[in-house]
Amino acid sequence: MPLIDIKDVSRRFGGLAAVSHVNLSIDQGEIHCLIGPNGAGKSTLFKLIIGVYEPSAGTILFDNADITRERPYARVQRGMSIKMQAPSVFKELPVWQNLDIALQQQRSGDDLVMERQRLLELLDLAVHDDKLAGALAHGQQQWLEIGMALALRPRLLLLDEPTAGMSPEETHRTGELIKSLNRDGMTVIVVEHDMAFIRQIAQRVTVLHLGQIFADGTLEQVVSDPRVEEIYLGKAHHV
Amino acid sequence: MLSLVNGPQTSGNGRGFWLAFLAVLTVALIYPVFADSYDVGNFSYFLIWIFMALGLSLIWGYGGMLTFGQTFFFGIAGYGYGVLAIVLGGSTTTIAALILSVLVAVLAAAVLGYFMIWGRISGMFFGIVTLAATLSLAFFLGQTAGPEWHIGEARLNGFNGMKGMDPLTVGDIYIEGTILYYVLIALIVAVYLGLRMLVNSRIGNVIVAIREDPQRAEMLGYDVRKYQLLTFCIGSGLAGLSGALYTSWGQFITPSSIGLPAAAMPIIWVAFSGRSDLTATLVGSFLLLFGFQTITIYSQQAALVLMGALLLGTVMVMPQGFIFGVAQIASRRWRRLAGRDSAGDGPLRDGET
Amino acid sequence: MLPELFSLFYQFADVFAFLILASAGLAIVFGMMGVINMAHGEFIMCGAYVTVGLVNLGVPLPLAQIAAAFTAGLIGVVIEILVVRKFYKRPLDSLLATWGLSLIVTQGMLIVVGSSIRGIGTPEGSFAVGDYTFSTYRIILFACALAVLVGIYILFMRTRFGVIARATMQNAGMAQALGARTGRIYAISFGIGAGLAGLCGALYAPTMTLIPTMGATFIVESFVTVVVGGANVLLGTAPAAMLLALVRMALNASYGQIIGQIGMLFAVIAIIRILPEGLSSILARRGR
Repeated sequence: MPLIDIKDVSRRFGGLAAVSHVNLSIDQGEIHCLIGPNGAGKSTLFKLIIGVYEPSAGTILFDNADITRERPYARVQRGMSIKMQAPSVFKELPVWQNLDIALQQQRSGDDLVMERQRLLELLDLAVHDDKLAGALAHGQQQWLEIGMALALRPRLLLLDEPTAGMSPEETHRTGELIKSLNRDGMTVIVVEHDMAFIRQIAQRVTVLHLGQIFADGTLEQVVSDPRVEEIYLGKAHHV
Repeated sequence: MLSLVNGPQTSGNGRGFWLAFLAVLTVALIYPVFADSYDVGNFSYFLIWIFMALGLSLIWGYGGMLTFGQTFFFGIAGYGYGVLAIVLGGSTTTIAALILSVLVAVLAAAVLGYFMIWGRISGMFFGIVTLAATLSLAFFLGQTAGPEWHIGEARLNGFNGMKGMDPLTVGDIYIEGTILYYVLIALIVAVYLGLRMLVNSRIGNVIVAIREDPQRAEMLGYDVRKYQLLTFCIGSGLAGLSGALYTSWGQFITPSSIGLPAAAMPIIWVAFSGRSDLTATLVGSFLLLFGFQTITIYSQQAALVLMGALLLGTVMVMPQGFIFGVAQIASRRWRRLAGRDSAGDGPLRDGET
Repeated sequence: MLPELFSLFYQFADVFAFLILASAGLAIVFGMMGVINMAHGEFIMCGAYVTVGLVNLGVPLPLAQIAAAFTAGLIGVVIEILVVRKFYKRPLDSLLATWGLSLIVTQGMLIVVGSSIRGIGTPEGSFAVGDYTFSTYRIILFACALAVLVGIYILFMRTRFGVIARATMQNAGMAQALGARTGRIYAISFGIGAGLAGLCGALYAPTMTLIPTMGATFIVESFVTVVVGGANVLLGTAPAAMLLALVRMALNASYGQIIGQIGMLFAVIAIIRILPEGLSSILARRGR
């Protein structure tokens, strides 16, 4: 049964069709990677799923409920959570308070304090918990933001370029983290460029090109498609 | 107990701070014993405005919404108290008039806030729309000199303003002079501690998160608009409380308490003091009111020129506020001199006290 | 029938001219630099005082008005260099800084020149349509408002300065990289805004009592016009003034001035609920 079902969704900006007639359904428990050249519409599709944009046409179902016109906070309350492309933590607030703002949605008291400590250790941020989030290194801000997304215990986790700015080791650890979350039942959609990372985690891959679905399947199927290589020409060394 | 009023959103969480707080409170409580009644009355007059300043600190400093409408709600509740105190018949019903007039101000804040926040008005436009509403109210009330402008027995009287309402009264006792002073001290302590609890609570966490980045806060599942409206209503309601108390204190109110330059005053107090901290706002606003009143005796215009210069100087030299900035520098110095890690003065978090 | 129609047009033109003249300077400064100049009313006051001062010295009215607009413009350039320039990265602080300035100027003026000075009276002259008589000067004000709109259009669409200014408006960093001296453009734009405010004061000086706090009479109208118009001066301001003038005229005619003023504010609040980014946003979308 699909957890998220995107039906014939389009989004236009003025004369530009950033996403057009996209059909995509993602099953419960899947790790699904969205790839494609820059400007393919990956981030726009994410923003349509979380509700930052409303589609110009089409419907989006989450767990069989029509959420096409719902505001982002309502979708988050239904069990979605997102890490956006640019790190957006609360820069002027300390690390622990960033986590609290997410954690307090579902927890309180000692339960919250314990979960905060667990996340801080999981994210390797325990020694920085009193620092202002804006003072963290770029990679650490990415981790913090993933932590805030996880603090909501989402059923569907959306990660937009989670490993940008991370070292290869950090990237690998992020991959392992995503896989362990997935083993506990979380559905994950990831936008990524890093092929090694995709190879590490992806169960299914969708290629977007010019706002449309170009290819879809396992990584092997997608990579062996000669047309995919064509649109990635010049980027072939990644594949 | 202290864990409720302490937290990351307020400065002064240590034992030293609360001892100083108690010392100041004690001085304030025994002050009327040593001062003559004229000075006590003057002191009460300063205290009346503190609610409006604290409300602005909440909306602007914590909530990130720059409202120029504090005197709009001050005026609504001020006139509301005047009208209700007359219509309800005065005496003990003035207590009802006080409560109802503040509720009317909150309702007005809910309506205006709904249109602005749901209309995605923010930043500078939030300021100028609230100011346009404020100036329009002052203009409107200035035009109500004719006898046709009355509500029941209560005449609005245009530029000359309303008068003739009873002050707050319980039974035979007028709440004036020293009694009013103690009532005001009690209200300020309650509002100050209440606001500290609010900003350090879960709701406070969300309020500052929205100030930092509204979209991020929404992505964590919060309906940003509802929290903004709540913040706006509480802060504006406090301006209303100041207004109703003001009318009761002097038994008159005129449109000049609403329009320019009155509308700029709360902005100046709070900007100068340090908008992002309730304690700095409390202390700074009181000092400014005191200084302003002292100079006004010689020349009101000169006092207002000085207030304008203070506002200009604050944003040019210390945009986070002078009282707040100086307090921060002083506490850093102190820590270095004392050569100790005064963790007690730093931010606290849940579960640590 | 015709006299009634003309009377309606006259009332509309009167409000429209007021809204355009009061808001044009504010709108240019906001559109170019993203700054709301809270001392806008004081530039209007400056224009009015210079006009009356010069007329009392024997200068002919139109000449005095032009001189007043230039004076306000020059003061605007100085203020931009001394104060406003420091706040382009902190627009909210620019609001506070200019408000502080406004207080200093109005209250300082009250100390220096006292509460009111001798006015000069509205220029005589009226004409009749049917049974109605109308003031010629009000029609001149309407013509001036139209001239200001045309002037702004020519300045921004047909001159070299305008091209550079629009480029700066779109992307200041890029314009700078291409050689535009953005600092100078901002100073000139602020000067133009202040000059238009001065012109507004100069034009209305004969029609009203002069007091140092007179700027407050204009700023509500200028604020709401800019809020309804949105960020694009060329597209937004005129339609916003037209819409608000219609609302105002209809309410004035049926319920009188007080309800007219309050009703306009309610209309503004309703409009921002529906069109958060102002009229220029839908007009810009149409054009694309």
